[in-house]
Amino acid sequence: MLRTAPERFESPEWVRISMASAIVLRFRSGRFSRDFPFGGINLLLQYEDGCRSDCAYCGLARTRPGTYTEKSFIRVDWPLVSTDDLVERMARYESALTRLCISMVTHGRAYADTCEIIRRIRRRVQTPLSVLVAPPTLTRERLQHFKDLGADMIGVGLDAVTESLFRRLRTDVPAGGLRWSNYWQVISWGREVFGPWKVNCHTLVGLGESDRDLVELFVRLRDRQIYAYLFSFNPEPDSRMGLHPKAPLTRWRRIQLVKFLVETEGFGMEHFRFHEDGTLAAIAAPRALVEQAVSSGLPFLTNGCPGADGRPGCTRPYGSYRPSEPFRDYPFVPTPEDLQVIRAQLALDEILPSPATTPAGGPVPSRPPELG
Amino acid sequence: MSGSTVRVGRYELMVDRLYDPEHHLWVLPVSDTRVRVGFDPLGVEVNGTLAQLVLAPLGTVVRRGEAFGSLEAAKFVGPLVAPVSGRVVAQNPVALSNPARIEQDPYGEGWLVELETTELPAERAYLLEGAERIALWFRERVEAYRREGVLAE
Ligand code: SF4
Repeated sequence: MLRTAPERFESPEWVRISMASAIVLRFRSGRFSRDFPFGGINLLLQYEDGCRSDCAYCGLARTRPGTYTEKSFIRVDWPLVSTDDLVERMARYESALTRLCISMVTHGRAYADTCEIIRRIRRRVQTPLSVLVAPPTLTRERLQHFKDLGADMIGVGLDAVTESLFRRLRTDVPAGGLRWSNYWQVISWGREVFGPWKVNCHTLVGLGESDRDLVELFVRLRDRQIYAYLFSFNPEPDSRMGLHPKAPLTRWRRIQLVKFLVETEGFGMEHFRFHEDGTLAAIAAPRALVEQAVSSGLPFLTNGCPGADGRPGCTRPYGSYRPSEPFRDYPFVPTPEDLQVIRAQLALDEILPSPATTPAGGPVPSRPPELG
Repeated sequence: MSGSTVRVGRYELMVDRLYDPEHHLWVLPVSDTRVRVGFDPLGVEVNGTLAQLVLAPLGTVVRRGEAFGSLEAAKFVGPLVAPVSGRVVAQNPVALSNPARIEQDPYGEGWLVELETTELPAERAYLLEGAERIALWFRERVEAYRREGVLAE
């Protein structure tokens, strides 16, 4: 008797989607604690043998206990759905969608499957589409092909912001081998292929880097018209960094603010002072300018690829904190009440000189305002 | 309709008890001065996949409308609001250790707390009872949640 092979729940026929995406596309019942519009759909390639990388902080790492299917990615369960069913629902709810994103994993089939999934999406849905790429699987031509198929932005999950940290967490680990130089090569190719402000670099705050390390990276990326997108490290239970603490909220808020000042207001290294250990000591800028940035609430929004209207489109609500914990990044513009909380967390007086001692002129904005 | 349940769409509701229509909690008198409290199936579903349950310590006195705990789901956290005034005299250890049981068996093993109360006669007016009224209210709520996009399809 002929026996058919059991169906494998793998890409390109199957993908995982974030719980927030599952809720907005009505695969799962549920709601958000606060009321805000949400339309960022994140999907993740799915393979039974999983991601071939082994990053120390990641919930999908190869040497973390559990099968790939059991492993959570950024903590909350990612439901498995059929790609065609997903595309059907994207088409049905497209008016509410702001940004779509395919997260690759490091796997031999990831490139071909990503192309196939982009094709299926693009046949039915025109919402802007990003690919969060897996650099070891890519070449410049392959990036060009993503663009030709209809992706308008790419993200690169650098995560660790210095070469030594990258090597310690992503290269010299049991089944590691990811290369810092390969990531930067892909960032450069991406910048050439996709253009200014169409590439972003995911950077994790709280892996052991200093504030200075982060600011140096922000400036370096800004000068190349590449976005730095901030993520707050959130320990994955059972990962090798499962017991590593998160960045304190005050540090996280200050890093959000500093990144905004660099990216949007044109600040450079000369506008920041650091203690010997690299911790931010002061912002040397007119207080009014910094206060204005804080009052806008914009520095504290989730960093994510924009929607067609230029506003944040990928907002990952409760992506790096639990609903019962204080917001890390806000998937909506913070309200005046939120801003009160943010100001207390920032403790700005500790890092901003009094008005009498601040220089008169500020830096010049570096990025066209329409880029949001 | 069968015995002590009524069916509304895919939901089977027990009608041997009272319901707080605002917070989707049921109240079942278990003695003259004691009630058991739990979620109805819609109340638990709309929050999403449950992650954690926190209940007020034994002995806590709560007024109707005050929180007797909180519930956290994948993307939601909110208070558990007392449907009647009383003193917390029992917590469900099964629900505390495995909140998924609240979703799987909201009328049985997934109950939340027991309250000692003498207020039920006075507060009964805020609660719904009777198969017909319960079914009517529930049908409206399902429709409203569907419009809001909170229910899976
Ligand atoms: S920020 Fe952009 S690249 Fe990163 S997950 Fe969101 S859509 Fe994808």
